[in-house]
Amino acid sequence: MKPVRFKYFAPETVAEAVARLEEYGDEAKVLAGGQSLVPLMNLRLARPGVLVDICRIPRLDEIRRNGSLSIGATARQRAVRQSDEVAAAAPIITEVMRWVGHPATQSQGTFGGMAAHADPAAEIPAVLLALDAELVATGRDGERAIPAGEFFSTWFTTTLAPTEILTEVRIPASASQSRSAFLELARRHGDFAMVGAAAVVELDEAGTAESSRLTLCGVGDTPVRAHGSEEFLVGRQLDSATMQEAARMAAADLSPPSDVHASSEYRQEVAAVLVRRALEQIAADT
Amino acid sequence: MATDAEMAVRAAEDFRIVRLVVNGEARSGLAEPRTLLVDFIRHELGLTGTHVGCEHGVCGACTVRLNGHLIRSCITFAVQVEGQEIETVEGLAPGADLHPIQEAYQEAHALQCGFCTPGLLLATQSLLEENPAPSDAEIREYLAGNICRCTGYTNIVRAVQIAAAKL
Amino acid sequence: MATTDRTRPPQYLGARVMRVEDPRFLRGGGQYIDDIALPGMLHAAFCRSPHPHARIKSIDVGATRQLAGVRGVFTGESLKELVGPLVTGLDHEHIRVLEQRVLPLDRVRHVGEAVAVVVATSRYIAEDACDLIEVEWEPLPYVMDAEEAMKPDAPLIDDSIPDNNTLHLDYEGGNVEEGLAGSDRVYTRKFYFGRQSASPLETRGLIADYDAASEMLTIWMSNQMPHLTRTMISTPLGLPEGRIRIIAPDVGGGFGLKAHVFVEDLIVPVLSRQLLRPIKWIEDRHENLAASGHAREIHYECDIGVNEDGTFTTIYGRLLGNNGAYNNYPYCAFIDVGMGGNLLPGMYDWQHARYVSDAPLTNKCQTSAYRATGMVVGNSMREIMIDEIARDMDIDPVEMRLQNTIPPDPYVNALGHKYDGGSYAEALKKAAEALDYEGFRQRQRELLEDGRYLGIGFSTCVEPAGWATEHARAHHWGEGFGTFGGYFDSASVTVEPDGSVTVTTGLHSHGQSHETTFAQVAADALGVRLEDVRVRQGDTASAVYGVGTYASRSSVLGAGTIMRAGADVRAKLVRIAAHELEADPADIELYDGRAHVRGSPDKTIDVTQLAQLAYFGHTNRPADLEEPALTSTRSYDPPESYNNSTFGAIVEVDIETGIIDLQRFAAVEDCGTMLNPNVVEGQVAGGAAQGIGMALYEEVCYDEEGQLQTGSLVEFLYPSMMEVPDIEAEHIETPSPVTAAGVKGLGEGGLLTTPAAVVNAVADALAPLGVALDRLPLNPGYVLSRIRAAREQ
Repeated sequence: MKPVRFKYFAPETVAEAVARLEEYGDEAKVLAGGQSLVPLMNLRLARPGVLVDICRIPRLDEIRRNGSLSIGATARQRAVRQSDEVAAAAPIITEVMRWVGHPATQSQGTFGGMAAHADPAAEIPAVLLALDAELVATGRDGERAIPAGEFFSTWFTTTLAPTEILTEVRIPASASQSRSAFLELARRHGDFAMVGAAAVVELDEAGTAESSRLTLCGVGDTPVRAHGSEEFLVGRQLDSATMQEAARMAAADLSPPSDVHASSEYRQEVAAVLVRRALEQIAADT
Repeated sequence: MATDAEMAVRAAEDFRIVRLVVNGEARSGLAEPRTLLVDFIRHELGLTGTHVGCEHGVCGACTVRLNGHLIRSCITFAVQVEGQEIETVEGLAPGADLHPIQEAYQEAHALQCGFCTPGLLLATQSLLEENPAPSDAEIREYLAGNICRCTGYTNIVRAVQIAAAKL
Repeated sequence: MATTDRTRPPQYLGARVMRVEDPRFLRGGGQYIDDIALPGMLHAAFCRSPHPHARIKSIDVGATRQLAGVRGVFTGESLKELVGPLVTGLDHEHIRVLEQRVLPLDRVRHVGEAVAVVVATSRYIAEDACDLIEVEWEPLPYVMDAEEAMKPDAPLIDDSIPDNNTLHLDYEGGNVEEGLAGSDRVYTRKFYFGRQSASPLETRGLIADYDAASEMLTIWMSNQMPHLTRTMISTPLGLPEGRIRIIAPDVGGGFGLKAHVFVEDLIVPVLSRQLLRPIKWIEDRHENLAASGHAREIHYECDIGVNEDGTFTTIYGRLLGNNGAYNNYPYCAFIDVGMGGNLLPGMYDWQHARYVSDAPLTNKCQTSAYRATGMVVGNSMREIMIDEIARDMDIDPVEMRLQNTIPPDPYVNALGHKYDGGSYAEALKKAAEALDYEGFRQRQRELLEDGRYLGIGFSTCVEPAGWATEHARAHHWGEGFGTFGGYFDSASVTVEPDGSVTVTTGLHSHGQSHETTFAQVAADALGVRLEDVRVRQGDTASAVYGVGTYASRSSVLGAGTIMRAGADVRAKLVRIAAHELEADPADIELYDGRAHVRGSPDKTIDVTQLAQLAYFGHTNRPADLEEPALTSTRSYDPPESYNNSTFGAIVEVDIETGIIDLQRFAAVEDCGTMLNPNVVEGQVAGGAAQGIGMALYEEVCYDEEGQLQTGSLVEFLYPSMMEVPDIEAEHIETPSPVTAAGVKGLGEGGLLTTPAAVVNAVADALAPLGVALDRLPLNPGYVLSRIRAAREQ
C-alpha cells in the first residue's frame, strides 16, 4: 500500500503554486494537510503525477476576524477548533470540529482541505453551506469569491478551476448573531457521518424565525440544503409541530446513497430525525 | 544496507536528502517525494518503535508528534515535514528510567502485544499536556483515534488516570 | 523422584506481578517482523485478482522487467515445480481433502487472490511492478452465498468437489428426535452471524533467508506456532525440518490468524531460495482484509425443546458455513462450523443434543481461525434463543437459566464433553448482582414511561480451554491437523551455572504475557526470584519443540510443562543442598533463591552456589547424582478442562435512529487458578471488546458483483475506546481437579460470552415494541428496519 511516484513542489507563494498547476495541468493536485488525499494515494485510488504542497506558503493559515471571519485555507483543523475568534464568530464551526476525525488528523488536516476535497459525507462542507460562507479561489487573474452554494458540484468535485487554489474561507458576520446546532450519526466516533445536519436560525425576541438555513451531509453527491424547510420555518415559532414538519420536509425529497454503513432508506429516515433534533436543540437554547 | 546497484537506482530516481530534528537530534536520510514519513522514520532513520497498522490513517499505530502535536506518519510524506521537529516513542524516556506515562501503562497492564502502545503513549502525552486532569470520558474521546485490538481499553483509561496523577 | 514438602505458599502464582516484557514495548524496543532488516534484503509484493471467479487466459509480466529495481517476477506456472501444494482437510472421514497451489495455474476464485509475485529492491518498486502486470481474464459465473452454493446448479469452485460442500458433520448425544417430540414446546429460530476478520493490528508477514552455503532456510515470521509451522511447511518446500529455522519475534496480535500456513508463507521462502537473497513480505491492510482469512459467517438454525415448567430438554443446531474459496490450512471449515456445534450445550442440563454442519466453497476469501472460532456462534445462538424463549413463556431469563444450570461438580454434557466442575450458577448470580438486576428492572420500567428503551442481557459460557488431545477427541477433530496429530506442548527449565533460570517453551506469546506468567510458574517451582528467570520462546533453534499458542491453551500447557520440568530440577537442587548442608533432603526448603534447612535458620545456601556445585563441584556434589546438569525438558498433554463465565450488558437503544449505546458491561469469569489476575482481566476485557465488535460493528461484506466492500479500515470497523465501555471484571476461582495447579485457561472466553449479552440487552430494550433480531452485527440501519417492521405489524 504505497503511493505511485510523483513530483513534489513546495512553493512559497500562491502565484508560484498557481504557476505549477498551470504547468502540469491535469497531472497536478494541490496537497494541503493530505489527510484525505494521502490515504487515497496509498491505496493507489489517486495517482497524481505532481503534488503542489501549499502548506509552506506564509500566512495562508491565518485566522482573522474583521466583521466577517476569514480562515486561511491551510489553517489546521486543530487551530480552528481552538480559536477563540472562530468560537465567537461562528460557534457552529467550533462545535462541528469535535465530530471531525481525531486529534492526530486535526493537527495535520486543514480546514480548507476539508472544503476542497468535497466529500459529501464530510461535516465542514455542510456547515459552510449552512453559514452561507464564501470560498475564495485564487488563480492567475487573482481572487474570486464562490458562494458555498455554488462551490460543491458533485462527489469530490468543486467548481474550482484546475488552475485555481482555494486560499480562504469567509464566514459572514451574521453568523455570530444566529443560533446554530450540528448533529450527526456515525458508526463510530470520529468517522465520517452516515448523516449529519446543520441548522443556523435567526430568531427574533419573540422566538420567531427570521431566517434559517438547514443543511445535511451524507445524503447526496454534495452537501444538501433543505430549501423548502428553510422557507417553511421563516415567520414561525419553533414549536414541536413546526419542527416536525420542517424535518419531514427536509428529508422528503432526498435520495441518499447506500453504502456498507447505511442504506439510502436509513439515511433518509434519520435525516428527518437529525434535522428535528438540531432544531429542538436550538429551541431549547433560547 | 543497500547494495551498490540499489544505491545507483536510488540516485537515478528522485531521492533527496530530508533533514529533521528527531527527539531533539538532527537527523537526515534519503527520501523520494512519495516516501511516507513512517517509512522514513522506521527504515531510513532506524527508529522502529513507530508502527504501521493500516497505512491509510485510521488505526493510529503510526502516531508521532510533529512540532509538539500528534500526527499520523503513515499519511504524511517525509518531504512535507522537512526541517521540522518529530518526536517518537524512543524519545519519551531517553535515560534509564521509564517516563511516568510508561510506568503508568505498565502498572495498569495497559498493553498486551505492544503494537499500538507507542502511538497511545504519545497520544496520552499530548492529552495530558492539554488537559492535565481529564475525566474518563475525555480520555476516551481524545484517544479514540488509537485502536487497540488486545486490551479492551479499560486498562488504558486506568493508565492515563494513573499517569495524570503522577505528572 | 525425590520431592520436598512445600511448607511456604507460592510467592508468585496468582500475584498481580507487573509484566517483565513491558519496558521493551514501552520504549519502542519490541522487535516485530517489519522491524527486522537484513543486508541485501529484497521486498515482495503480490498482484491480486480483481475478479471473484475468472479463468486466467494469460499473464504478461514483460513490462515489469523494464522497471529499475525489479529482481524477479513469478507466476503459478513458474512456481509449480518449485513448491508443492497445500493439501488441506483434517484426517477425518466427513471432511474432504482439497489441494491448493500456492499461485493458481488456471483460475482465480476470489477477489484478492494472488496471481503473481514481484521481488524488487523496495516495496514501493515492487508495487509499481505489480501495476504493470497484465492479466487477460475470462470472468466465470460466481457464487457468494452459502445457500446458493449448495444448490445443484451452482457454479463449481473446485472441480474435485462436485457439490461445493467441504464437509458434512452430524453428531448427536441422546435422541433429539424423541427429545423434541417429548417436549411441551419446540422453538425454532434462524440467525445469521456475519462474516468477520481477526485483523490483528500487526498484519501478517515474513522474511525468508536461504543460505546456499549451509543449505539452511531461516524464516522470521509473525506467527503463533513456529514449530508446528516448520513441520507443516517442510513437505511442500521439500526441505527437512532440520534445515529450516523459524523465528517468531514479537508479534503484534494473532487471534488465530497467525496459527495457519498461508500461500505467502511458502512463496517467500521459495523466492529466497531462487534469488539467494533475503526477502521480506509484509501484508498490507487491504491484503489482510481481502485475502488473509475471514471467519465465522454462519446461517444458524436451531430447535430447542422445553417443558411448560421451563425445563430444557433438547437442543438441535443446523449450521451452514461459508467456507470461501479454499480450505484454510490446516484446520479447514471445522474450526467454525464444527466448533459452532460443539458449543451448543453450554452450562445447561440438556438430555439430547445434536448438530449438523455443512460448509460449501464460495467465491469469497477463505475462512480461518479467529479467537473463539465458531464457538462464539454456537454459544450465542443458544443464549439468544434462551432469552427469546423466556420472553415468550413469560419467565425471567435469569431464573430460566438458573433453573436449568448443571451443578458445580464435574459433569458430562449431552455431547459427551467432560466438564471438570465450575461456578456455573454462581457466576450468573454474581453478574446479575454486579449490574443490580432488580434495581435495573425498576429503572427500566420508569424510563420506558418516558419513552426511553433500556435493556439488560446476560450470556453464559462454558469454554473448552487448555486444548490438548482429549479435547480434540471429545470435539471430533479426527486424528489431527492433516497428517500432524498431537496437541501436547513442551518446556525446558534450566538453572544456569550462575543460578539464573532459563525456560524455553514451544508456546508463543503475542500479548498473552508468557514472559511474566511462565516466569512466575518457574520461580515458584524452583524457589527462585522472579527477576532471575528468563523465558525464551519463538525460535525453533533454541526452544524445545512444541505445538504453539491457540485455543486458550497456553496457561494450562505452560503451567503444566514448566511445573513438571521445574520439579525435576528442584529435586536436584534439594539433593545438592542436603548434601552440602548435611541435612535430610526432607528438611530442605527452597525460596527466595536460597535453600534453607527447616528448623536451622543459619544453615542456608543460595542457588548460585548450588549451581556451581552441580556444574563444577566435582567431588563436592552427591556421589549418586548421575546427571548433574540442572535441566529438564518435559511435555504435558492435559485432560479436558473448561472455564466458565457470565457476562451482562446494559444498553439504551435510540428507537428513532437504531443507535445502540452500550452503557455498562460486567464480566464474571472463572478460569480456575489464576496465574496473574492482571493478565486474566486483560484477556477478558480484550475479548469482550472483540465481542462488542462482533455484535455491533465488524463485518466483512461483499457486494452482488462479488467485490469486497470492506477492504479498508474505513469500512471494516474496529471498535474504538468510545464504543467499548468500562469492562467491569470479577473473578471466581474454582481450581480444576484435573490440570496442573488447577489452571483452566481463558483466552477466548471474553469474546465467546460477549455477543449474546449485547444482543439480549438490545432485544430486551426493544421487547416492548415486539422487535425480533435475526442477524449480527446489529448495525443501526438493521436495528431501525426491525423496529419499523415491528411497528408496521
